[in-house]
Amino acid sequence: MNRSLKIGMVCPYGWDTPGGVQIHMKELAEHFMKAGHEVSLLAPVSDEDSLTEPWVVPAGRPVPIPFNGAVARILFGPIATSRVRQWIASGDFDLLHIHEPAIPSLSLLACVAADGPMVATFHASAPKQKAIYAIGPILEPVLEKLSARIAVSEMARETLKVHFDTEAVVIPNGIETKKYLNGRRNEDWYAPHTLGFLGRFDEQRKGLQVLIQALPEIAKKIPGVRVLVAGPGEDESVLKGVDPSITSRVRFLGRLSEEEKADFFASVDAYVAPNIRGESFGIILAEAMAGGAPIIASDIQAFKDLLHDGEFGKLFSNESSKDLARVAIDVLSNDEARREMSDRGREYALTYDWGSVASQILDVYEVAVAGGAKVTLASENRGWRRLRNE
Amino acid sequence: MSNSVFIAILIILLLAWYLSFSATRLDRCHHRVETSWEHLDALLQRRAALALEIARNSDLDPATEMILTSSAYQSREANIGDREDAETSLSESLKFLHHSALQGEITISVGLINELTTLTDKIRTAIAIHLEAISAVRNLRQKLVFRFFHLAGRAKWPEKYHFEDDEL
Repeated sequence: MNRSLKIGMVCPYGWDTPGGVQIHMKELAEHFMKAGHEVSLLAPVSDEDSLTEPWVVPAGRPVPIPFNGAVARILFGPIATSRVRQWIASGDFDLLHIHEPAIPSLSLLACVAADGPMVATFHASAPKQKAIYAIGPILEPVLEKLSARIAVSEMARETLKVHFDTEAVVIPNGIETKKYLNGRRNEDWYAPHTLGFLGRFDEQRKGLQVLIQALPEIAKKIPGVRVLVAGPGEDESVLKGVDPSITSRVRFLGRLSEEEKADFFASVDAYVAPNIRGESFGIILAEAMAGGAPIIASDIQAFKDLLHDGEFGKLFSNESSKDLARVAIDVLSNDEARREMSDRGREYALTYDWGSVASQILDVYEVAVAGGAKVTLASENRGWRRLRNE
Repeated sequence: MSNSVFIAILIILLLAWYLSFSATRLDRCHHRVETSWEHLDALLQRRAALALEIARNSDLDPATEMILTSSAYQSREANIGDREDAETSLSESLKFLHHSALQGEITISVGLINELTTLTDKIRTAIAIHLEAISAVRNLRQKLVFRFFHLAGRAKWPEKYHFEDDEL
């Protein structure tokens, strides 16, 4: 696009709690600002004093509410509504980019309150629930206002289609591939036959236990096998009751910085993603590939889609330690295949680079702003307008 | 007695509000079909212009050049009936061209090829969004309330064109 746009983004979740949607929005906003566009981002914020981004507009403190099996920090109510309206009225935006408008939070409020060019991104994927029959008719006229819909994956698109009977353009989440390009092997971490795991390891759905249980089997064939576990976690109870000859092979690195993450991917012979469920995209796989790590992943839908059914990484049958062991032995004992996986992975990861992802999003913006109108507060419906004008 | 009159008035008011709300919804969807079509149309025109430029500035065999030039001319000038075929043949010949250029069988300047690639991406997105807008209108207009109260007025039934199914 040739002209610079004034973009308003709306985040449904607490800005200062870690989460995939927040990271996605932050990086997208920064990318657009670097390209010369102007961004204002409205989000719930718990602690306004520690807010570091001047372009984030706090809309109030989020409320933790259990939603879709996890606790979501969202914001709603009359005060939030008037903040949203105020932000839209004073923003003079060319376009609103709303994230997860089907979540009862700021995004939904913004979608109701605004008129004009609006694009929404749908991140979540969930099976159809009974409640959808009740809320569908409420949401339908609201979601209909969107000029275009983006789904981050095939699964998210399918969810949208089943829930609301509308289509969406699929544009994946982005990563900064060059951050992972120059990771250096940390000799303190690395030894031949090292597997890597990254994530909140004390969450059962991340599946670290599947990997731990596969270790005895792998060690029979590959005596030197070791596992590096990176990421935050409270207790190391995954190792409870496991034989000491196995636990000595596992090393916890704690939370890693971004630079350390690049080094981490360069210091493993294969990256293992044993996630059991609750993964709708699997951005971590794209990052690991950008870092040159060969991938071993469970065959849940999100990973199958991202790895093109095993073309760009090896899949094992979900929750099966035995199958994981088989695949891991196969990968660890074949240096040539690993090198080839690493090269192809790096190249494939480029399709997730912000450079390509952001320009696809910009193409969608271009269609949305084609009418030439700006974002305004939603007017009353047509009957009222007629009565007042005539 | 006065109670039932009051209720009747309330029902009529509610119905009026609902109809007006529904009409606004439909109006918005129609508007979106128009703007997304205008945008798509503009992109297609740009594609035709680019095709002519490629035909003029590359060393193509006469048959390819002829197909390219004629479909580009047609898609710029024809009415929508003939244009469907013109756009399809343009899509096909550009796809063929793009493919052969990538294989190194013919030489087209890198600038033109890059322009063609970005433009094709844009058109693909624009078509997806336009079709989405069309199906939104169609879904609404098939509902009973909209048909019974003639909420669409004289607005035309939104058309889908064949070339929008082309693989780009």
